[in-house]
Amino acid sequence: MSEPDRTNLPIRRLPFQGVSNRTLDGSKPDWNLIGHPEAPPGAPNVLLVLIDDAGFGNPSTFGGPISTPRYTQLAEAGLRYNRFHVTALCSPTRAALLTGRNNHAVGFGSIGELSSGFPGYTATVPRDCAPLPRILAENGYSTAAFGKWHLTPDGQQGAAGPFGRWPNGWGFDYFYGFLGGDSGQWDPCLTENQKIIGTPEGFYDKENPFYLPDAMADKTIEWLHGVRAQDTHKPFFVYFSTGCSHAPHHVAPEWADKYQGKFDQGWDRLREEVFARQKELGVIPANAELTPRDEAFPAWEEVPDELKAYYARQMEVYAGYSENADYNVGRVIDAIDELGELDNTVIIWIWGDNGASLEGAVTGSFNELTMQNGIPLSDEMQLQLTERYGGIGAWGGPMMDPHYSAAWAWAGNTPFQWGKQVGSHLGGTRNPMVIHWPARITDTGALRSHFTHVIDVGPTILDITGIPAPSHVDGIKQEPLHGVTFADSLADAAAPERHTQQYYETMGNRAMYKDGWWLAMKTPRIPWLLTPDALRPYAPGVWDPDADPTELYYLPDDFTQAHDLAADHPEKVAELRELFWAEAEKYKVLPLLATMSAFFGIVPPLPDVATVEYRGDVQNIMSGMIPRVYNHSYTISADLVIPAEGAEGVIVAEADHLGGFSLWVQDGILTHTYSMMGVFIYRQQADEPLPAGEVTVRMEFAADAPKPATGGEVTLYINDRPVGKGRMDHTVPIRFSAYAGMDIGRDNGGVVDLSYEDKKPFAFTGTVKKVIFDVKPHLSAQDEDELHAASHHGHAAHGLSQ
Amino acid sequence: MKFDDETTDVLIGGYLSKDAAQDDYEAVLACGGYLHGAVVVSKDLKGDLSVEQTDHMVREGAAGLGAVGFAVGLFAPPLLAATAIGAAIGAGAGKLLHRKTASKLEEQAGATIPVGGAGLIVAYPHSAAAKVEPAVTRAITKAVGEAEGHHVKALKGAIADAQQKMAESGA
Repeated sequence: MSEPDRTNLPIRRLPFQGVSNRTLDGSKPDWNLIGHPEAPPGAPNVLLVLIDDAGFGNPSTFGGPISTPRYTQLAEAGLRYNRFHVTALCSPTRAALLTGRNNHAVGFGSIGELSSGFPGYTATVPRDCAPLPRILAENGYSTAAFGKWHLTPDGQQGAAGPFGRWPNGWGFDYFYGFLGGDSGQWDPCLTENQKIIGTPEGFYDKENPFYLPDAMADKTIEWLHGVRAQDTHKPFFVYFSTGCSHAPHHVAPEWADKYQGKFDQGWDRLREEVFARQKELGVIPANAELTPRDEAFPAWEEVPDELKAYYARQMEVYAGYSENADYNVGRVIDAIDELGELDNTVIIWIWGDNGASLEGAVTGSFNELTMQNGIPLSDEMQLQLTERYGGIGAWGGPMMDPHYSAAWAWAGNTPFQWGKQVGSHLGGTRNPMVIHWPARITDTGALRSHFTHVIDVGPTILDITGIPAPSHVDGIKQEPLHGVTFADSLADAAAPERHTQQYYETMGNRAMYKDGWWLAMKTPRIPWLLTPDALRPYAPGVWDPDADPTELYYLPDDFTQAHDLAADHPEKVAELRELFWAEAEKYKVLPLLATMSAFFGIVPPLPDVATVEYRGDVQNIMSGMIPRVYNHSYTISADLVIPAEGAEGVIVAEADHLGGFSLWVQDGILTHTYSMMGVFIYRQQADEPLPAGEVTVRMEFAADAPKPATGGEVTLYINDRPVGKGRMDHTVPIRFSAYAGMDIGRDNGGVVDLSYEDKKPFAFTGTVKKVIFDVKPHLSAQDEDELHAASHHGHAAHGLSQ
Repeated sequence: MKFDDETTDVLIGGYLSKDAAQDDYEAVLACGGYLHGAVVVSKDLKGDLSVEQTDHMVREGAAGLGAVGFAVGLFAPPLLAATAIGAAIGAGAGKLLHRKTASKLEEQAGATIPVGGAGLIVAYPHSAAAKVEPAVTRAITKAVGEAEGHHVKALKGAIADAQQKMAESGA
């Protein structure tokens, strides 16, 4: 068969070449009609691995303190790339990776939670930018994605879709993982293909608890076996995107305990140790200089002695968690090897999507969302809350959703400055990459220092597989790829460096790279500060981006950005600044700070629905899709049928004990529990039991005022009669959970009130006919407008962490 | 030393964990200062209340503490003072969102100690303050009250004074 036209997808079926007579007599079949597009001859399998929220100086393969034997094994049989770049934020890097185009140009200037009405920030890939998995699938590849997705708008993660924005819609035949920005590893709320399947049954197994990284590897291997059981030669494309090392840092103690005492020297000394090893390994140049600590990070010696064990354990857990990722990727590699296909599988393994995350603030947190909810907690408070949930020995277990200190992240980004969200500096934009392909790479164990970027990965995969970038997909003319292939560098150390120019923008932090020069334009805001004072300087009419401090580096001589040359080269500063503006316009980066537009009152139209009704079998409503109960009055009512013998269980529950609410019944007593991010836990109970028969119950929260985190009075009603009350001094202003869902008639996953944990999911033994949320029962029109701005603001702030 | 020989001090500490309160409790016991009594009250994550107190409480002072209950005006530290919300709309930005807890001061410990939280009450003669107060290092909120008079009256007065100070401090 002749080679089909692969530039116009889907590949057109050739005309019928047989004969169709009136009967079978003399008719000749054309078996190509029931075939399917095949990949170009010799096209290899592709395994694309992406680790989350990790830094250049984390894996031992690049001199870090975290043991990554499988990563090193591949590097020694393949190549290390030490000048590979990302976008400094989760979704943007993933969008660029899977489209081969600049992230703003494909609608991902920000993250799935922060879609906005500007072209570069829609969180919706335009149809003229068909993603890589779609291209591969249309060209004869079996495609599958496992783990973190984070490319579906926050409000579109339910049964109504639209599913074009889910992994299957991007071209993956199969998906198993989570749609959001992070997930508990013990208690995830999972998605399989186009259905939210919730928390796995294994979560309830105390003897053999579910652990997502293990399950991801299991599912990947199972999928590979299934593909090969059907087709022995169809190439596969597997995107293995770990939730690790993003918060919550969940791992079993036996992994964390391997690192006991390994970080007692603190982050300053750790950076020096890593830097020395990086030089020994040769993954950084001999003349590289270690960049100094910014005053935003405390010196280790300033940490009170009584808190050092608390801080050290944070890093021990992070290290064990990360090593476990290395182990589970290794299991997938072993499975490919057992299939006899390792030689012809290109493995591209990127260790981190935005540098290590600074979002734990200096203190770290027992609950990753305390920072996003604007709850300032001192390190002593964090330690006490850690003790409340089991102590530092339980850090990493299911009782907490921990995130380590920003200072550990900074150490993880050795030898660079800053980290996640900081698109102006290498700490947030440069990550390790290893490529393994025995069939082609002969210079094993070598280092490549070509300037490469995440948008180059797609073009490189297409180049390797012999598949052209399509000019049309579904009849729609395609935007050319923005990245360039570096495939020839696999076999040739002297291959030319093609990526000579690149803009960066994340959360207003900007950079312009061209021919070795790097202009850094960082906003003075500390990445983990979301206070009004910290944000106010960037308000419309206030912020002048060109007044931000500038730093200029010449990377060929200065690998780490240690020497600011801006004062010596004002003409270069001006040139690169102008080039940035031109690139920003070209790739839809403008308006700057559109990621944070909601913070400044630019919010979508008010929804026209004030009440939301759920029938009794609705479960696993993603946390970003629950009714807007934040910062104002609301009611939850439920129509129940109580049998004569009584009933118990959960009527409705959102998220878990680290943030959430539950309306539930035990011993006939209606109870409302509200966890203000695990810091404050409020309970109100009825003073009389529920009657039998048809019963309506209601929880009414009367806010003190429509304002962020408002306190208020709770009243419980049975059949419209008040039966209990209580006060909540603080409520959650932004979001209860990054990943745990809301359920009707039970409390799936981690429970809200730990007093019924031993009965989880504590399904209601009566009948929940329906549950109704009324999110504006007491508000004036003006209140509603103000609250709309506030609630969306909260919604936005959550997303900053992803 | 008799209970009513001098001014009586009462220190109230609020904590986010029982462990922290217990640490301070033990530090107070070991500080070398004379104590009339010390009590740790905590509520676990299931809502169950527990109380631990010194042997001192069997003495005269115990009756006093018991008589007034453990109405510790705990918590509501200004955790949300710096909430980001409101940066754009201005309203309420930067304000302390806490609410004074004066209305709770008369409630009993079971109603006052929040789930997962703990409180410490230490009663001591004013002359021991220099040893006792530095031993309390982990309290998130802390107030010291004082009063003179006969033992139970002094104790009640000192507790009330401490509670009032805690409320006024916004804690």
